[in-house]
Amino acid sequence: MSVATARRFAARELRGGLRGFRIFLACLALGVAAIAAVGSVRASIEAGLTREGAALLGGDAEIEFTYRYASEDELGWMNDKALALSEITDFRSMVVVDRDGEAERGLTQVKSVDDAYPLIGTVRLDPEIPLAEALAGDGAAMAPVLADRLGLAIGDTFRLGTKDFTLRARILSEPDDAGGGFGLGPRTMVRTAALEGSGLLEPGTLFASKYRLDLPEGADLIALEAEAEAQFADSGLRWRDSRNGAPGVAEFVDRLGAFLILVGLSGLAVGGVGVSAAVRSYLASKTGVIATLRTLGADRGTIFWTYFLQIGALSVLGIAMGLVLGAVAPILLAPLIEAQLPVPAVFTVYPGPLAEAALYGALTALIFTLWPLARTEEIRAATLFRDALARAPLLPRPRYVIPTGLLVTLLLAAAMLFSGTVELTLWTAGGIVGALVLLALAARGIRGLSRWAGPAARGRPALRWALGAIGGAGEGAGEVVLSLGLGLSVLAAVGQIDGNLRSAISRDLPEVAPSYFFVDIQKDQMPGYLERLEGDPAVNKIDSAPMLRGIITRINGQPAAEVAGDHWVLQGDRGVTYSAAVPDNTRVTAGEWWPEDYSGPPQVSFADEEALEMGLALGDEITVNILGRDITATITSFRDVDFSTAGIGFIMSMNPAALEAAPHSFISTVYAEPEAEAAILRDLAGMFPNITAIRVHDAIDRVSELLSGLAAATSYGAAATLLTGFLVLIGAAAAGEQARIYEAAVLKTLGATRGRILRSFALRSALLGAAAGVVALAAGILGGWAVSRFVMETEFVVIWPSALAIILGGILATLLAGLGFAWRPLAVRPARILRARE
Amino acid sequence: MTDTVLSLTDARLSLDGNAGRVDILHGITLDVARGESVGLVGPSGSGKSSLLMLMGGLERATGGTVTALGQDLTAMDEDQLARFCRDHMGVVFQSFHLIPTMTALENVATPLELAGARDAFDRAAAELEAVGLAHRAGHYPRQLSGGEQQRVALARASAPRPEILLADEPTGNLDETNGAAIIDMLFGLRDRHGATLVLVTHSEPLAQRCDRVVSLRDGRAVDHPQKAAAE
Repeated sequence: MSVATARRFAARELRGGLRGFRIFLACLALGVAAIAAVGSVRASIEAGLTREGAALLGGDAEIEFTYRYASEDELGWMNDKALALSEITDFRSMVVVDRDGEAERGLTQVKSVDDAYPLIGTVRLDPEIPLAEALAGDGAAMAPVLADRLGLAIGDTFRLGTKDFTLRARILSEPDDAGGGFGLGPRTMVRTAALEGSGLLEPGTLFASKYRLDLPEGADLIALEAEAEAQFADSGLRWRDSRNGAPGVAEFVDRLGAFLILVGLSGLAVGGVGVSAAVRSYLASKTGVIATLRTLGADRGTIFWTYFLQIGALSVLGIAMGLVLGAVAPILLAPLIEAQLPVPAVFTVYPGPLAEAALYGALTALIFTLWPLARTEEIRAATLFRDALARAPLLPRPRYVIPTGLLVTLLLAAAMLFSGTVELTLWTAGGIVGALVLLALAARGIRGLSRWAGPAARGRPALRWALGAIGGAGEGAGEVVLSLGLGLSVLAAVGQIDGNLRSAISRDLPEVAPSYFFVDIQKDQMPGYLERLEGDPAVNKIDSAPMLRGIITRINGQPAAEVAGDHWVLQGDRGVTYSAAVPDNTRVTAGEWWPEDYSGPPQVSFADEEALEMGLALGDEITVNILGRDITATITSFRDVDFSTAGIGFIMSMNPAALEAAPHSFISTVYAEPEAEAAILRDLAGMFPNITAIRVHDAIDRVSELLSGLAAATSYGAAATLLTGFLVLIGAAAAGEQARIYEAAVLKTLGATRGRILRSFALRSALLGAAAGVVALAAGILGGWAVSRFVMETEFVVIWPSALAIILGGILATLLAGLGFAWRPLAVRPARILRARE
Repeated sequence: MTDTVLSLTDARLSLDGNAGRVDILHGITLDVARGESVGLVGPSGSGKSSLLMLMGGLERATGGTVTALGQDLTAMDEDQLARFCRDHMGVVFQSFHLIPTMTALENVATPLELAGARDAFDRAAAELEAVGLAHRAGHYPRQLSGGEQQRVALARASAPRPEILLADEPTGNLDETNGAAIIDMLFGLRDRHGATLVLVTHSEPLAQRCDRVVSLRDGRAVDHPQKAAAE
């Protein structure tokens, strides 16, 4: 074997041009481009977040406390380190507008600021006035959406708590808005000093205080973070700095990007089916050449390398085309993408994501071409005068099977490494492989079924020819079902999951979810609050609980993150309650609840599912920082906490003596008839201006909006897969064109009209498309059911509109591709074709 | 004693097809001497081409033995057979089987390149000149007439100086004039290089130019006229 000789032969063979390789190149280029584009957009956003980190954060660094302001010591340390310091307070409240004797209310996220705010950037207002002017005295600025909803014009007054404010401006943009994460209410901005006398920010109120630090040029952020955390360890301090100005956004972009790249990989897998089909078709056309080379003395190695190098060169071309497309498209579409993004992005060419896409492309090309190339070994010289390839073994030799396995492993390892999510990668890969196997089996089944059903179609020639063609090898049933099926499966699964989630939210949740959450109810307000509700026949149920918020800092004396990793319970502060007895709706699953009069060392009952995930056991000690104080409690019981009904669910409940003395407020859920909701809100808000009401439906609507966005993003990914699948379909149709021309010629000589032949062609396309749609739907329903049942733990029903759309989509796609290549067979004159065959 | 180049003993060939097993050759026993020319004749489907491919190692016998230059072809694997063909055999087909993406010169040079010859292209050019196609060296097969393509195929087969030349109906796709020219060249090459020639033909005059004619019917050799010995 000589690779140099093979290289020369390959170069000569490539002189034939790219004929027959257009689908190959398109499949590879599209798959690579989709991944490169997603990666490039992700990198652009990450670069934007890095560049604008300080502005997004509102300072070089931020220290946040929950529920309290910084202590003297902490303020002293910050003043010592920073050139300038700004304090802001963030909390939820109700905006109240009195109009014609009626009070209108809107939930808002209040940001109260000092004179130093903002340290970096500017707040853009309408009218264009400085922030200080807008907030002077009892002035306020408000998000346009809230002002419009409440009918507030500039100069109008509204109430926060018990204090009136004047709307001076509408907020167009805040420099530090993107870092805030998910909020239920639009923004209202006032001065912190102006809140005095509002009855808000009383002890026990839920609020966060944030201190932005303007640090000297070149300050060592890592060292400062370490110093702050060492100095104020266990004080509940949370540090962020401009290295990652908007961690929530960055993490979301990272996760979504990783997920979309995995969806992109399914597109590449479909492209792989097309690549494989194109290579097989090309090699089939080269059988004569390969056999000739064998008569001239070429050994198997030389022939393998001749074609491996050709396909390799074409793969490099396809990948390069994909990279150019994937790199350039985000730059060209930058204005459109930026308009949709809530964060800054820097659009340029990023080598990292392009290299990642190129690696995926190269591995996919290798995986899908190695087996067809291995078949060149089975082409013998005798093929020149006899079809000697009729009986090729199912599997190639181990020297090809083993490298293919290694390449698949490498692809998986790369996907895990780049996405950073081993579990998601493995699930996605399992899904793709499972779907491909299912689809391949289904394709065999469809062919078998067609052969079996053929005789039953006697008397209906168009149908019989269609069934015969599907049952035979020429129509490419396998390729059609595989290529179309995978994209449709993803779309079907997304449709079923999305539909079930929506129906769970809109149909099931209102039955079990409360009407309102009331927060910040002071202890002395509780009797009046309960009195208003308990006497109301429209109120079905009231749940109330004391609520504090704390951060778990240590587990058995060790830093919590070292013991339980990055579990969500440890990320930020969590609600903590107390109760003397086991509440009615609570079930203790292990251990013992404390006696009602217990007043010994603190004990805690922990949510059992989360405890299991975090590796906690009965008897473990957890330290929770509440209002800057550490409370170390022993876990004496686990209990079942159901978060799915939107009721009150606390991870931790302590014995009353442990928490009662700390300033705190109450949280309450009210389950009421919908028609009574408005009156309840009016009365309670009137009686207790400081409390905040969150309408559960509004919160659910916000969550639904977010889910819609995610479903749309996933659908775009699936659409790229589908587009690749459609290309493969076109490839399969193009490959079958010669056979159809011959078939049409023969049928015409036998008296078949063009209409009847066209009907037969359309029937076989439609039948195959419908079959692919049904198989995809089965796979999608299976996937949707699994996600609903095991991940979301909701009921599953088949969403029929989506299901029918999938089947119709399958039929339409195959019809389009199939009929696009039906005209030439219908137009040719039989004599010419049949003579050429002789 | 005659030096035997090709020897078949009770050679059989059966193939598995969709309709079941088909017996193509039924125990052929045949020796071909060095420098001898043998014409294989017989009606269509009698097994002439299959016998030729068996001799060239392009088809594997399912029974009996086939030896070429003293080596048992039935004991070789695919790659050993390919190398043996490269070093000792030249084959000419009715359909030429030129590689369409290669020029005439590259086609002729291919077996020499496969054999690792450094002067592959010089020798290929000389070979093309010998068949009168030096001026067509840079042309692709589709740019050549049928007769020219067969001359290129002939040059390609003879370029490595094979000891055995096999030709499967070399004039089957050519008109009479071109066919005659090809035959002259084929025998000329045989004479110049002293190769052994076995050719399959339907043409009686062509068969008569061979030293010996073997006639096949239903996969059996029915007679062995010893034409050369009679002359």
